[in-house]
Amino acid sequence: MKYRDDVITSLDTCIKCSACTAQCPVSKVNPNFGGPKWLGPDAERLRLESGAILKLALDDCSNCKTCESTCPSGVKITDMILKARRKRSLDQNTPTLALKMRLRGYVLGRAEYLGRLGVIWPGLTNKVLGLKIMRYGLDKALGISKFGPLPPYSQALGIRADQAKDGQNRKLERKVMYFPGCYTNYNEPNTGRMVIKILEHVGYKVVVPDFHCCGLPLEANGQFAKAQVNATHNLELMENYLQVNVPIITSCTSCGLTLKEEYPKVSVPGAERIGQQTFDLFEFLWSLHEKNELPLNFIKQEISLGYHLPCHLRAQGIGIPSLRVLSLIPGINVHNLDVGCCGLSGSYGFKKEKYEISMQIGRGLFEATKIGVNHGDFQEMITECGVCKVQIEHGAGVPTKHPVWILAQAYGLA
Amino acid sequence: MREFDTRVVIIGGGATGVGILRDLSMRGISAILLEQSELGHGTSSRFHGLLHSGGRYVVKDEDAARECIDENEILKRIAPTCIEGTSGWFVHLQDDNPDYMKAWLTGCSRVKIPVKEIDVAEALRLEPMLSRHVEKVYEVPDASIDGFKLLWANIRSAERYNGKFMTYCNVSSVRVENGCVKGVYAENVRTGEKILIHSEIVINAAGPWAGMVAASAGAQVSIIKNKGVLLVFNKRLFQRVINRLRAPRDGDIFVPHETITILGTTSYTVGSPDDNWIMPEEVSYLMNMGKELLDDIEHQRVIRAFAGIRPLYEEASTVVGEGREISRDFALVDHEKLDGITGFISIVGGKLTTYRLMAEKVTDWVCNKLGLEVVCRTAEESLIPPVEEKLKDKARTMFGVAMADKMMERLNDRLGEVVKQVSQDPAQGQLICECEMITKAEIKHVVHEFNTTSLNDVRRQTRLGMGTCQGAFCTYRAIPLLADLLEEPGKLREEITDFLDERWRGVVPILWGEQLRESELTRAIFNTTLGVGQREQGR
Ligand SMILES: Cc1cc2nc3c(=O)[nH]c(=O)nc-3n(C[C@H](O)[C@H](O)[C@H](O)COP(=O)(O)OP(=O)(O)OC[C@H]3O[C@@H](n4cnc5c(N)ncnc54)[C@H](O)[C@@H]3O)c2cc1C
Ligand code: SF4
Ligand code: SF4
Repeated sequence: MKYRDDVITSLDTCIKCSACTAQCPVSKVNPNFGGPKWLGPDAERLRLESGAILKLALDDCSNCKTCESTCPSGVKITDMILKARRKRSLDQNTPTLALKMRLRGYVLGRAEYLGRLGVIWPGLTNKVLGLKIMRYGLDKALGISKFGPLPPYSQALGIRADQAKDGQNRKLERKVMYFPGCYTNYNEPNTGRMVIKILEHVGYKVVVPDFHCCGLPLEANGQFAKAQVNATHNLELMENYLQVNVPIITSCTSCGLTLKEEYPKVSVPGAERIGQQTFDLFEFLWSLHEKNELPLNFIKQEISLGYHLPCHLRAQGIGIPSLRVLSLIPGINVHNLDVGCCGLSGSYGFKKEKYEISMQIGRGLFEATKIGVNHGDFQEMITECGVCKVQIEHGAGVPTKHPVWILAQAYGLA
Repeated sequence: MREFDTRVVIIGGGATGVGILRDLSMRGISAILLEQSELGHGTSSRFHGLLHSGGRYVVKDEDAARECIDENEILKRIAPTCIEGTSGWFVHLQDDNPDYMKAWLTGCSRVKIPVKEIDVAEALRLEPMLSRHVEKVYEVPDASIDGFKLLWANIRSAERYNGKFMTYCNVSSVRVENGCVKGVYAENVRTGEKILIHSEIVINAAGPWAGMVAASAGAQVSIIKNKGVLLVFNKRLFQRVINRLRAPRDGDIFVPHETITILGTTSYTVGSPDDNWIMPEEVSYLMNMGKELLDDIEHQRVIRAFAGIRPLYEEASTVVGEGREISRDFALVDHEKLDGITGFISIVGGKLTTYRLMAEKVTDWVCNKLGLEVVCRTAEESLIPPVEEKLKDKARTMFGVAMADKMMERLNDRLGEVVKQVSQDPAQGQLICECEMITKAEIKHVVHEFNTTSLNDVRRQTRLGMGTCQGAFCTYRAIPLLADLLEEPGKLREEITDFLDERWRGVVPILWGEQLRESELTRAIFNTTLGVGQREQGR
């Protein structure tokens, strides 16, 4: 039945077991936060009753989605929270966030614009963002914490047009479409270039159209209309490829989650296919391996690494494909730290009032990382998510990179 | 035996009884109300919670409809915190009889029930769950009304005028000497203490038990005990009361109540006023009926079922078919005329919507009997003293608007104390019942007031345990707060079992889907982890 609201229906499946709250990284460190059960399904019953929204607490959730991965009943907890945020943003009667906060939502939500600005003069932006006085300004003017680890910017990845000539049968070509996402595009384009190299190495042509930001940071920062526009734009670029079963590859876990979970809800052509046709890079590589199509001529790597699982990868429900793929490389030794959220969660930890909480959430991870290094278990960390990487480097002071670099070494590409 | 005097004794702590106590007290006549269990033990808490606009009766019984619309307007004025002005829709579906719709519209305009037509597309936008077979929608001033809140508001108002009441006090017989009422014999069911109350007048407002009370005086009142089953859904399905626009039948009204929605009802004559057990076939029958208004009903979680007994007055001793054929209107039975007993009157039938009017008629009769001339003021004076705006604002910043407003409706003028507790010690603001958002401070407050003797009493005051989990979590969290009342540790165990039994009773008839999972979790927590049992588990 078309008119059934799945979010509201999923409210009924909550059996109040509180497993979600027990796992929520924010609840662990902030006793005043009611937790996902309360903010999600509990408050949703109240919201349905009176329309009144428990406003303050809504912003305490970092949208890490740990709760949703935990819930044994399939309750769409973060959908409820985001829906309430959306409703609040539309509600004219409630004095919503002060102008400063709205401006900040605008800046943090638009990693893309900040990014574009950054890559026009990468050197300049980095210098400017690195300047104490500038960070002090951001802190005061926009409430962006002066301590938060803002990532540096470099030369953007750019687009790669489809080389296929007209009339050529697209189906016969082994082709993938790569969705790099803002972070890869503007902050770590070299990682993006390496993803493309690997995909080519395993036998695929790679297309990268002029995508916009996936929309997740916008959603998380209350810019719901813009998120919708971006999704529509991106789906238009993908549609022809989706129709002929070209896989969409992501290397950023948040983009991946958004494409898999949010895009199917947009009502434009292609939305019905995107969910099943999006793959995390390593998920894709593992699927090739299962078909015996992954080249296994690895160079032995005498290397030991720490691994951090990003929340948004866990939320995709595909296990940890990168560890599976890396385990194929001889000599490699990976310690999965398994200590939960890094605390930064997209743009949460950049916010002035959230900085402390975010560092507290990440404490477990920082400690585990430092202990690992001190014991000599590893000297370097790997994680798929760019912001987790930035946070680990900031909080633990240990160099961190995307696992694609390890694979590249093993293939002799880097 | 304890003895004391009053002018009037009222038997029965339902809406009718408390309404009479308030009216008598406001008119300065000393009165005491006796209730065999707790307030609202009878039909007044086991009902649908619809403050009728009169729309449901307008075709069959214009007088009843007129009473409803009048009382509807009065109650909205005097008891705003007990009522949610949801408005109500009468919905005409594809194959419904158009002649009935015509008659209904004419009736509404004759009785002066304001009716507004709602465009169907707009209706579906406002109430997305409504059946797509809807063809016409009319809006009337229906509302939802909370039975417990209304009872307590009446009691409090009566207390301000020296009205008295005793709960857990069962009237064993009415004392009659030489054809004259002399009072009642009663017993405290908790302590076994015997009580004799001397009075000039005895009012039988015992609802479905009225026949038994009358018989104890050697008088006769014929009550048809008509059972109605209701289903409670986990959430708001509709924002308005949804009535089917056709001749009243079973399962054709949805009433939204706070966080839940109630679907009802059925109509089935039973033998005893306590016969409110529910059969599985009654539940599936209701689900089928409800499906006509809400296509997607199977996907909506039902959290419990309950049944109430309508005390229908059977004027002549003719029983015509099922209950619904008989007038639901009330009757004042003067036993002097019928049975030759002076000073004894029974008030039977009616609706909760018209409780105030019934009380007014009874009190007029009492005044007449006692030779007093005092006018009724219950329609003018507010039942609940208003809460200061400053206090409201404070509560709202403390708990957030949604939670604070619900608390205010429950506590009214007592809100101040709870707010004070929490501002002195923020830990008191901790939520004990998360489904219905009830804080530790509020429960503590209730425990020390309102004649509270059990967790069930707390529930009736606060909605504790009435939400989704049906007591799975709040029970063990709340029980330590009762430690002052139930000193022996053994009593606490018993109390948990009592409370869960009561919750369990309503869950048993609807054990499927999510509520079945919930019950298994509850069982795991209490039976396995805490080692306390649910006595009725075997059923
Ligand atoms: C299923 C159902 C749905 C209904 N829906 C609605 C609706 O939506 N709107 C509406 O307006 N009306 C509705 N009604 C009708 C309404 O609930 C009743 O008319 C009303 O509650 C009757 O109140 P009462 O005080 O007369 O009786 P009760 O509430 O039954 O009160 C009688 C009290 O007397 C006490 N008592 C009995 N014997 C003794 C004794 N010997 N000693 C001491 N105490 C004694 C009982 O414990 C009881 O508490 C509904 C009824 C039913 C059954
Ligand atoms: S998304 Fe993360 S922070 Fe938000 S409620 Fe869920 S677990 Fe907690
Ligand atoms: S949302 Fe899920 S995990 Fe949280 S209390 Fe409900 S059922 Fe349990």
